[in-house]
Amino acid sequence: MNAKLRTFFLIILITIGCAVSVIAQDSDTILKKMDDVMFSPKDMTGKNKIILIDRNGKEEIREAVIYQKGTDKRMMRFTAPASQAGIAVLSLPNDVMYMYLPAFGRERRIASSAKNQNFAGTDFSYDDMESVMFSEKYKSRLIKTEDTVFVLELTPKGRSDYSKVVAAVNKTHFYPEVMEYYDKAGNKIKEAKYTFEKVDKYWNASEIEMTDLKKNHKTKMIMSEVKYDTGLSDDEFTVRKLVQ
Amino acid sequence: MNRFAEYIIRLRWLIITAVFLLTVYFGYQFRNLHINADIISSLPDDDPVARLYKDIGAEFGGNDMGMIVLETDKVFSVEVFEHIRQITDSIRYMQGVSTVTSLTNIIDIKSSEWGIEIGKLVDEYDFPQTQAELDSLKEYVLSKEMYKGAIVSEDGTAAAIMFTLLPQADNQAVAEEIKSKIERLQLPGKLYFGGLPMMMIDINDLIISDIVWLIPFVFCVIAVILLISFRSFRGILLPLLTAGLSVIWTIGLMVVTGYELTIISNIIPVVLLAVGSAYTIHALNSINHIYLHDRKQALIRAMVYVTIPVILAALTTSIGFISFVFGAYLTMIKDFGIFAAVGTLIALLLSIFFIPALISAFSMYRKQPQTEENKQTILTHKILLPLTELLFKHPNYTFAGWVVILLLFIIGIFQLKTSVNIADYFKKDNPTRIAEDVMQQKFGGSLPVFVVFTGDMQSPEVLHMMMKTQHFMKQDNNVKVAQSVADLIEQMNDAMGEGKKIPDDKAKIEQLWFLLDGQEIMSQLVNDDLSKGIIQSKFASVDSKDIEAFTERMNRFISENQNDNYQIELTGMPSIYVKLNSSLINSQYKSLFIAIVLVILIVGAILRSASKGIFAAVPIIATIVVLFGFMGLTGIPLDIATVLVASIALGIGIDYSIHVITGFNNHLLEKMDAEKSIESVILLSGKAIVINVLSVSAGFLVLLFSQIVPLQNFGLLVAISMFGSGFGALTLLPVILILANRKRRIIANNHK
Repeated sequence: MNAKLRTFFLIILITIGCAVSVIAQDSDTILKKMDDVMFSPKDMTGKNKIILIDRNGKEEIREAVIYQKGTDKRMMRFTAPASQAGIAVLSLPNDVMYMYLPAFGRERRIASSAKNQNFAGTDFSYDDMESVMFSEKYKSRLIKTEDTVFVLELTPKGRSDYSKVVAAVNKTHFYPEVMEYYDKAGNKIKEAKYTFEKVDKYWNASEIEMTDLKKNHKTKMIMSEVKYDTGLSDDEFTVRKLVQ
Repeated sequence: MNRFAEYIIRLRWLIITAVFLLTVYFGYQFRNLHINADIISSLPDDDPVARLYKDIGAEFGGNDMGMIVLETDKVFSVEVFEHIRQITDSIRYMQGVSTVTSLTNIIDIKSSEWGIEIGKLVDEYDFPQTQAELDSLKEYVLSKEMYKGAIVSEDGTAAAIMFTLLPQADNQAVAEEIKSKIERLQLPGKLYFGGLPMMMIDINDLIISDIVWLIPFVFCVIAVILLISFRSFRGILLPLLTAGLSVIWTIGLMVVTGYELTIISNIIPVVLLAVGSAYTIHALNSINHIYLHDRKQALIRAMVYVTIPVILAALTTSIGFISFVFGAYLTMIKDFGIFAAVGTLIALLLSIFFIPALISAFSMYRKQPQTEENKQTILTHKILLPLTELLFKHPNYTFAGWVVILLLFIIGIFQLKTSVNIADYFKKDNPTRIAEDVMQQKFGGSLPVFVVFTGDMQSPEVLHMMMKTQHFMKQDNNVKVAQSVADLIEQMNDAMGEGKKIPDDKAKIEQLWFLLDGQEIMSQLVNDDLSKGIIQSKFASVDSKDIEAFTERMNRFISENQNDNYQIELTGMPSIYVKLNSSLINSQYKSLFIAIVLVILIVGAILRSASKGIFAAVPIIATIVVLFGFMGLTGIPLDIATVLVASIALGIGIDYSIHVITGFNNHLLEKMDAEKSIESVILLSGKAIVINVLSVSAGFLVLLFSQIVPLQNFGLLVAISMFGSGFGALTLLPVILILANRKRRIIANNHK
């Protein structure tokens, strides 16, 4: 093989290599941008309305106030229905979670070794509720590009009950529009639909509708009165605060 | 009658064409034939216990519970945990599966000084690795009632993987897929498959294998008997043709009307082959015996002679079948009654319309007239003739002999047992039966018990009552596990630091519930709007006495503890079995009573004599005594199949008595001598009766090769009943006639 030809092949190889890495980087960039949209506010407060809809269409409504700081500190205090009013959940880094039950007048640390279990009757598992950046949890691959969305296939880096998550990410604003969750047998088991609205300078997931396709059960989480970057202090996320 | 016969011959081609077209039509329906192996679906909807059981199954996924047992030396080892996980995971993602519960994914509520952990018993991504960890896990698991004997056997040698199916799923198909999927894993250790969904696969296979093997077998057996009796091609072809066509029409009709083949209607072909061929045999016999030069006239005369007796025979047999419609608990027994009766009538219609049409159309007349009417045969001269001599010499002894035999069998009747345990349907070496035994030994059986509470599931009162009920249930030696949402609330309360009890404050319960909400197990324990909850339990014994004692105590407990705030109901397989059990005996009485009364009425009406109607019933009633006595003495239980025998035996066996009595009447008119008449009846009709007994019995005895135990017993018992009623018609009935006649003569003499 002469030198010219060798150079030619080398160039082609490099070109292909670059192209591949561009595509790979592209999906990572998209995911990173999505994380930025979802996790960039310093803090957030708001009201959360949780609507549980069973297979017969019957609804059950819960309301809570949410405070969040950064990605890993969150306080959720239920205000309705009356039987659940006052129940509060404090999530801290490293899977530390406390729960306050007013009827008992005391808090308990809750460990959920089973992250695939659903959170308090919703269709969100503890895993889904976790505020961990997608780019930390998943490897990504761009499957296709559609008119308005990039479709990413996310495969878990660590342990997960999902074999993959397929996310449709908005091309212009990089928020997720739809996420489809697949079990280990490759069946689509859940689907989340997102509605984003701009609040101040951030995109806010004003509504998330999660459907459990197997149980035919739905959970809608609707956010309102959202305020960003009000300067919540770390003191808001302590056990002492939880019990108050 | 003559005109009727002539019409048939004139319209022969029309009849043949119609039969042909109908046969094609019904045969074509076979493609839609379905097998329904689900015994639960046969429970009647009008029975509250059965309906509750079906409802619970739909609402909580309870009765469609299956169980896979993995038996090894040591469950608590890394390897075995891995295997359990493989089994659990391979079922978990299947379509139609609602829930799966095993050691590797079961919920666990742990409490410690620092808090509560609601999670899994083991971390499925990080199993305990060292023996010390495994040992401490074993100790923990066996200390918790929720696990011990439920998902691990007490001796730690077997693990259970329980699954429930979605109500709308095709249970049988899903169960089959589960089984083959698990078997493909090729895990070391022994695997057992149990529970109703698994049994259904087996029952389905058994039904198919019975149909495939038994029907040709019966066909051949009857063909051989026909060959021996008639020694002509026509004599084999025509009876088998009628029987075969009636099977096709009946099964086709079942499909058209939307019925499925069940463990019971499965035997309709065998029954119809055995019974349906008889009418054509009678018709042929009659045609054979009349020889005129004008063949057409001979045929007409034969038909005139035979039509009424054949109608009578078919009518009584149908009554035997139809009597189940009024007495049976299981719908599949009713369905069997209806279609067996329909099939019998079809066989009748074919014998009186189709067979003569066929004979005249294809000139299938007998080639040589029988020259010797009373051919000396071993049967007539070595058996029947000595028999008549004995009867006339010692009528009193013969009668006394029967009385002694009957008394003996009456003793047997008191030992008659019933059996409704589905596992008993399988032969002892059947894998399903073995699996059931293992479940019983290691996991407290596979008979689900449910106590249903209707009321506010979050009220302390209801939860207290649930716990009280569970404690009461566990006092029974056969109840090892009982579980409800109350257990979980107690454990949660304990974890909150307030002790292992139901909190008295409803607010506390509601908040504990918040933590449990969404756990997979909850949908198996309470309904969506929390207005209903169940205690899930299992009963270990299949003994009728244990089951009865348990349900009786439970029902008393329940009625003592009912209250305005909640309603308690008991259901489950034990309750169903109790119902089934009492219904077996009830329906036996009812259908037998109906059959006897109808038969006496019909026979009495046709013979225009009430006393003769009763005389005709005597041999068959004696046979039924022998039948039940035999069952008691040999330990064959009354079950969903053997409960059919008495009425069927009555329907078929009464024909022998009818033959004897009508023969006696005819001969009496000719000879005016009662004793002579009896002698010639025994010699002439005796032969027909013996042939009929042999052919029907042989047909039914083929069922001994059935894969389903109750059907084996059924076959044996029908054969015994045929012998009994044949023998009764040839000995007991003549003796009664002799004695009655002598008495009348004595009275007549005294009056002279």
